[in-house]
Amino acid sequence: MSPQNVDFYNTLLAMLSLAALAAAVGLVGYRIAAGAEAARNLLGGSAIWLAWTVAAVATSGSLIYSEVIHFVPCRLCWFQRIAMYPMAVVLLVGAIRREVVVKYYALPLALGGALISIWHYLTQVFPSLEGGSCDPVNPCSSKYVDVFGFVSIPFMAGTGFIVIAVLLAFYVRTNNE
Amino acid sequence: MNKKTIYSIVGGVVGLGLIVALALSIANEQEVDDSIGFRPVEVTGAPLPLFDPTAADPTVGLEAPTAVGTDWNDVETTIQADGRSKIVMFLAHWCSHCQAEVPVVQAWVDGGNLPDNVDLYSVTTSTDRLRPNWPPQDWLEEEGWTAPVIMDDQIGTVAGSFGMSGTPFYVVLDGENRVIRRVSGEIGIAGLDALAAEAAAAS
Repeated sequence: MSPQNVDFYNTLLAMLSLAALAAAVGLVGYRIAAGAEAARNLLGGSAIWLAWTVAAVATSGSLIYSEVIHFVPCRLCWFQRIAMYPMAVVLLVGAIRREVVVKYYALPLALGGALISIWHYLTQVFPSLEGGSCDPVNPCSSKYVDVFGFVSIPFMAGTGFIVIAVLLAFYVRTNNE
Repeated sequence: MNKKTIYSIVGGVVGLGLIVALALSIANEQEVDDSIGFRPVEVTGAPLPLFDPTAADPTVGLEAPTAVGTDWNDVETTIQADGRSKIVMFLAHWCSHCQAEVPVVQAWVDGGNLPDNVDLYSVTTSTDRLRPNWPPQDWLEEEGWTAPVIMDDQIGTVAGSFGMSGTPFYVVLDGENRVIRRVSGEIGIAGLDALAAEAAAAS
């Protein structure tokens, strides 16, 4: 893939990521301002489908990075993949079957993945967290992607995890009515 | 939100993702000459074992290999037993520690801190077109880098022969090309002063 196409792809994913994050922040703000009932009515049962969409886009985006663009995932990237990939399947099954219990499987993955993403992002911002030198093979502190000066792959992954967690929280509330 | 809206949103996002993925997969490949980050090198002599920062370095006193290579302007540089002590700095363009260390080293050199009887060499290695800050020559020129540069080859022959285990990586050699010290990681001004003092004392 040409560098121009990679740049386009990076920018596209970064913008999707920022839009999703803004929407999640808006949802939380709406929940605080308008109350639980209004928040439930806003999304209804669609929260689980939206959460699955985020997981599916994140999973396919990650696979395109490694299998098409040939970025080599680092150690922390693999941990985040372990958390994200199952959600693309689990959330789809949960959405089709309309099972509220899916939250017990997906939320721990989303929250755990978010924590790993935050740590990974911090190692990129503060490389000294990973030590004083770079692993010549594949250091986690190295940025393959840097859009707008702050959006990197762990940033996008972390956004995905957080958005999924927020949507699942809304889904749970809706179905507990 | 009704089902139709939900399916429209989900379908739209997934469809967009698939279209983008497909477009990217079949997009016209533009030839990118990634060889501009590499040059052929020639190394003779026994390679040094991999550097282990947690243990005493067994290579101290051993003769380092002789390395011959060129920079991006094809200016040839040789690291060999030439009677002068030297500090050899190995750099990776994508390494955040190297990116932080290079301006420090250049300012240190510009400040006249490199002893007259010590030479500073650099080797760009682990070059990867897919990683940021590529190619290394653009980065080093932007930093005003003045030390002679050997661009390592695709398989990192020079770095491997000096036992590099992380970047930045420093090897201090005496005039007979024997190892005085190897250091990995950012060392800053104090570290540079210490390496220079050791090199100068051995000259």
